[in-house]
Amino acid sequence: MSNEILEEQINSDYKYGFVTDIEADNAPKGLNEDIIRFISKKKNEPEWMLEYRLKAFKYWLTLEEPHWAHVSYPKPNFQDIIYYSAPKPKVQLNSLDEVDPELLKTFEKLGISIEEQKRLSGVESRIAVDIVMDSVSVKTTFKETLSEKGIIFCSFGEAVQEHPELVKKYMGSVVPYTDNFYAALNSAVFTDGSFCYIPKGVRCPMELSTYFRINASGTGQFERTLIIAAEDAYVSYLEGCTAPMRDENQLHAAVVEIVTHKNAEVKYSTVQNWYPGDKNGKGGIFNFVTKRGICLEDNSKISWTQVETGSAVTWKYPSVILKGDNSVGEFYSVAVTNNYQQADTGTKMMHLGKNTRSTIISKGISAGFSNNSYRGLVRISKGATNARNFSQCDSLLMGDKCGAHTFPYIEIKDKSAVVEHEATTSKIGEDQLFYCKSRGIDNEKAIGLIVNGYCKEVLNKLPMEFAVEAQKLLAVSLEGSVG
Amino acid sequence: MEAGLKTMTIKDSLIAEFESSKNSLFGDLKLREQALEAFSKQGIPGRKSEEYKYVNMELALKGDFKFSSSKKLSTQQIESTQFLKEAIIVVIENGIFSSEHSKINSLPKGLQIINIIDATSNVIFQKHYSKYADINSDAFIALNTAFYSGGVFIRVEKNAVIEKPIHIIHIASASENTILNSRNLIVVEENAQVKIVESYETLDLSAKSFNNVLTEIVVEPNAIVDHFKIQNECELGNLMSTTQAVQKGKSVFSTHTFTLSGSLVRNNLNIVLDGEHIESHLNGLYLTNGNQVVDNHTLVDHREPNCNSNELYKGIIEDKSSATFNGKIYVRKDAQKTNAFQSNKNILLSDDGTINTKPQLEIYADDVKCSHGTSTGKLDADKIFYLRARGLSEASAKKLLMHAFASEVLDGIKGMEELHNYLEERISKRFE
Repeated sequence: MSNEILEEQINSDYKYGFVTDIEADNAPKGLNEDIIRFISKKKNEPEWMLEYRLKAFKYWLTLEEPHWAHVSYPKPNFQDIIYYSAPKPKVQLNSLDEVDPELLKTFEKLGISIEEQKRLSGVESRIAVDIVMDSVSVKTTFKETLSEKGIIFCSFGEAVQEHPELVKKYMGSVVPYTDNFYAALNSAVFTDGSFCYIPKGVRCPMELSTYFRINASGTGQFERTLIIAAEDAYVSYLEGCTAPMRDENQLHAAVVEIVTHKNAEVKYSTVQNWYPGDKNGKGGIFNFVTKRGICLEDNSKISWTQVETGSAVTWKYPSVILKGDNSVGEFYSVAVTNNYQQADTGTKMMHLGKNTRSTIISKGISAGFSNNSYRGLVRISKGATNARNFSQCDSLLMGDKCGAHTFPYIEIKDKSAVVEHEATTSKIGEDQLFYCKSRGIDNEKAIGLIVNGYCKEVLNKLPMEFAVEAQKLLAVSLEGSVG
Repeated sequence: MEAGLKTMTIKDSLIAEFESSKNSLFGDLKLREQALEAFSKQGIPGRKSEEYKYVNMELALKGDFKFSSSKKLSTQQIESTQFLKEAIIVVIENGIFSSEHSKINSLPKGLQIINIIDATSNVIFQKHYSKYADINSDAFIALNTAFYSGGVFIRVEKNAVIEKPIHIIHIASASENTILNSRNLIVVEENAQVKIVESYETLDLSAKSFNNVLTEIVVEPNAIVDHFKIQNECELGNLMSTTQAVQKGKSVFSTHTFTLSGSLVRNNLNIVLDGEHIESHLNGLYLTNGNQVVDNHTLVDHREPNCNSNELYKGIIEDKSSATFNGKIYVRKDAQKTNAFQSNKNILLSDDGTINTKPQLEIYADDVKCSHGTSTGKLDADKIFYLRARGLSEASAKKLLMHAFASEVLDGIKGMEELHNYLEERISKRFE
C-alpha cells in the first residue's frame, strides 16, 4: 500500500548508532586464565573474587553452547572478543564536571541528560543513574542523597571493594555460575555492573537506573547487576541499553540477580535497544542475558517489565523463584522484531511457596523477516498449595515473511494449583485500520495507535519516564511495517 | 558388579535382531534397511530429548524383549473385545493380521481390506506406503518401518460411502516381554466416506508388551474420515501409537483419542493439511490413574491457505499418574487465512499427580487467526457447593462434575451411537 513509508523506515537509521571517541583501555583479545587474572587485577579485586571467576571459567570450559532456542546465528568466536575495555581516563570522580566532556556529550545524544537532572535535584521525580560503558561503570549519580537513607547504589566493582560481605553473600545465590553457558561465561569475565542494596524498611525515594552502552569495537559486554531488598524495602529499577552500529556481531551476556526479603518489593524495568543490525541482518548485538529474581521470604514481590526492540538475537528469560509464602511474581513484556531480528524471550515462574501468585503478559510483534518467540515455563512444585498463575501471550504479525511462535511449558505437581494460559496470533485488523483512517488518522499513525493499544497492558507498568521512551521506540521500530 | 554382564542395550539388540531376521522379512527390504539406519542414528529418545522430555521411553524398554509371539487366543477371548456389534472387524493379534478372526468376507462395494503382507505389490499401496511418516523425524517411525511384522491395508474407493464402521482391534497377549511393530495404511479416495475405530487391548498378558503401532491415513479431496482410537491396555501394556495423516483439498478428517488405561501411552498424531479448504478436528480425552504415564503429542501442519483446524484435549489425573499434552500448530508461509484453535484442559485430583502441558504455535503467515488456551485446576468448590446444596453427596457431586467435564470430548462423536454409549459407560465406571 504505502511503499514510500516502508522505504522510509528501511532507510531510517538506528538513531543511537554513533561511536564516542573516547580512548579505551583494552585487554588483548581472547579468553584464558591470564585474561581473567588481568581483569581481576585491573579491578583490584580480592582473592575470593578471582577464585570465583576461575571456578566459573573452569566450569564454562566443560559446557557447550545451548542451541535449543528458536534462533540461528553464527556461533560467536570466544577467542575473538575483547573481554575488558575501560574508557580512559579512569580516575575517581567527585562531580560531573570531572567527567570526560566527550562522555557527557554521548549521554546527551542518548537523551540522558545528567546535567539536567543535576540541576533539577530537589524536584520530586529524580532518577539516580549508574552508567556502564563497555562493561565498566563510569559514573553513578545521586550517590550521596541515597546514602543518607542507607541505600547502597554503586558500581559492582566498588561494591566488591566496599561491601564485600554483601557481595559474597548474595552473588551467585540466584544465578549460580553453573546455571548455563552464558551465566558461567559472565561469572568468569564480568567487568562491572551495578549493585544496589535497600536496607530494612526503606522505600527508595527515586527510580534507580543503570544505563548500558557498548562503545568500543570488538568488545563483549559482560556486566552483572545485583539488587537486594531487605525486609519491607521497595525499589524501582530501570535499565536501558544502546550500542553503536557495527558490521560485526557483538556479544552481550549479562547476569541480573534480585533478592527480596520479607514484604519487600522490587520492580525491574528494561528498555532494551541494542543495535539490531542493518536492514540486511548484518551486524547487531547478540543479547544473551540471564535474569532471575528470588522471592526469598514471605509476602515479597518481584516484577519484571521489559520492552525489547533491539538486538540482532535476543535470548532472555527474566524469571522469578517464588520461594516465600504469598509471594508474587510478575512478567510484562513487549518484544518487537523487525528486519532480520530474532527474539526468543519469555519467563520462568517457579512456584515453591504456598499461596504464590504469578502473572505473565507477553506481547510479541514481528515484522519484516524477523522471528519472535515466546518461551516460558510455569512450574508448580508439590507443596506449593493454592498457587495461581495466569499467562497471556499475544502475537501480532506484520507481513508474510516473519514468524511468531509460542512455546509455553506448564508443569504442575500440586492439585490445588490453578493455572491458565492463553495465546493468540493475528494481524492488525483491516477494520481497525479502516476505522482510524476514516477518522482522518493516516496509516502510519493508525498503526502506532493500534500497536500502542495492543501493548498498553505492559506499557502501563513502566515508570513514567520510561513509558514515554518506550512508546516512541515502538513507533520508530515499526514505522511503515504494514503496507 | 552386574553392569559388566549386561552390555547390550535395547538399541543394540534391536539392530542385532534386524540383521539376523532380515532375510525372512517381507516388503521392500531396502526401505527397511534405510529405516534401521535412521533408527540407529536416532536411538531410543532419552529424557534429554525435547520431544520425549516427560515420558521415560528408556524405562519402558528396559529389560530383555522378544520381537514376536506365537501365543494364540481363542475366538471367545477375542470376541470379548468387540464392543461394536455392527462393524467390520479387523484383528491384529500380537502385531500380525489375523485372517482367522477378522470378519472381512462380505465387504461393501468400494472397500478393500488386505493383510499388509499381501498388499506390498498393490499399486495403490506402493503409491502411498511410507510416503508420509518420515523415518528421519522420529525414532519410533524408523523402528516401525524397519521391523513391521503385519497390519492392514484399507482402501476406500472413489465415491464409496461405507456405512458400517471398520473396527481394527490391536491385541497384545504375550507371555514374555515383547516389542510389537504393526503398521496400517488407510487410503480414502476422492469423495469417499469412512469411519475407522482402532482399539488397543491386552488379553491374558503376563509380561510387558511394547506395542509400536503406526497408522498412515491418506484423505483425498472431498473425502470425509472419522477416526477413533480407544486405548484400553492393561498395566503391563505400553503403547507407542503414531498416526500420520495427510489431507487433500476440501476433505474433512476428525480424529478422537480416548486413553482409558495402560502403563505408558504415547500418542504421536501428525496431520498435514496439504490442500485448500480443509477441515481437521482433533479431540482427546485421557483419564489417568495409578502410575500411568500418558503423553499426547499432536502436530497440525497448515501448508495451504483457507483451512480450519480445531483441537480439544481434556484430561483428569489421579493418583501418581502423569499426563502430558504437547500440541503444535504450524502455519507455513503460504497458509494465509488459516484458522487454527487449540485448547487443553486438565483436572488434577491427587497430590502426587503431574500435569505437563506445552501448547505451541509456530506461525509464519500473517493473515491468520490462531489461538491456544490451556487451564489446569481442581474441581470448582463453588460448583460442588451448588450441587451439595441441592442434596447431592460430595462423591456424586464430584462424579457429576467430572462427567460433565469429559462429555465435551465425548459429544464430539457424531453419528456413532454404539461407540458413544460404550465410552460413556466406560467413563462412568471410571468415576465410580
